[in-house]
Amino acid sequence: MFTLVIGGAASGKSEYAEARALSLPGKRVYLATMRPSDGECLARIEKHRLRRADRDFETVEQYIDLDSAPIPAGANILLECVGNLLANEVYEPNGGGSDAVLHGINTLLSWCRHLTVVTNEVCSGGADYDESTLFYLRELARVNRALAAQADSVVEVVCGLPHFWKGAP
Amino acid sequence: MIFVTGPLFAGKREYIRRTLGLSQEEFTRKAVWDVQELAAEVPDLSILAEKLSQKEIVVATETGGGVVPVDPRERAAREAAGRLACLLARRADAVVRVYCGLPQVLKGELPC
Repeated sequence: MFTLVIGGAASGKSEYAEARALSLPGKRVYLATMRPSDGECLARIEKHRLRRADRDFETVEQYIDLDSAPIPAGANILLECVGNLLANEVYEPNGGGSDAVLHGINTLLSWCRHLTVVTNEVCSGGADYDESTLFYLRELARVNRALAAQADSVVEVVCGLPHFWKGAP
Repeated sequence: MIFVTGPLFAGKREYIRRTLGLSQEEFTRKAVWDVQELAAEVPDLSILAEKLSQKEIVVATETGGGVVPVDPRERAAREAAGRLACLLARRADAVVRVYCGLPQVLKGELPC
């Protein structure tokens, strides 16, 4: 089963996605994509880590190239999040762009039991951006559309509440 | 008229074109898109809305989310775009919001 969870900043999408993954069987793997580059990132990572502390997730950190992530077959994976992964794939020297994101997620789908993917809603604030920001938005939107087309369920989280665009609770 | 809205790069045109089974050429003939960009340039939005409603399909990108722009012209443009969308939705037989390529019908029914 493939669930795509999308929401704006601090919408409660991570909590929702964690609860969703916890309700599913299989060895739980938290696939973290945020590269800890400064204090704010570290604080955010720590906050998420504490919340998962007693929830029996094995954490795997993979910043680019999901194809090479050490994930056991049949796992119940929670991937967080596509926005960071895409930024790494787009802006890091060894990154493979949006194609690498989609390829990597399809690799995970081929051997995991359940995949829950958290992604970001960033296209609701108009188009008054510079070209490099628009490029990132366009690429993230492309990845989100492709994942939404493939997913069994697409859930937008608003104020912590799920709205199903596809599939059922 | 069918009014299609949704966030930037949500796949609005592709969704409605495919759903109605239109070729690219048919779509270009029957539809008008990015109408949010026209709103800032006209003195009377209802006249613009009336004119756009002659098309079978009208597509607008939502621009009202996020922070209110500091620049007065951008602020006015965004305001006009939102008001235009409301006028179009009122005139439309069907309104569909596309999000990540997925539809939510907000008004009426799609003819398919």
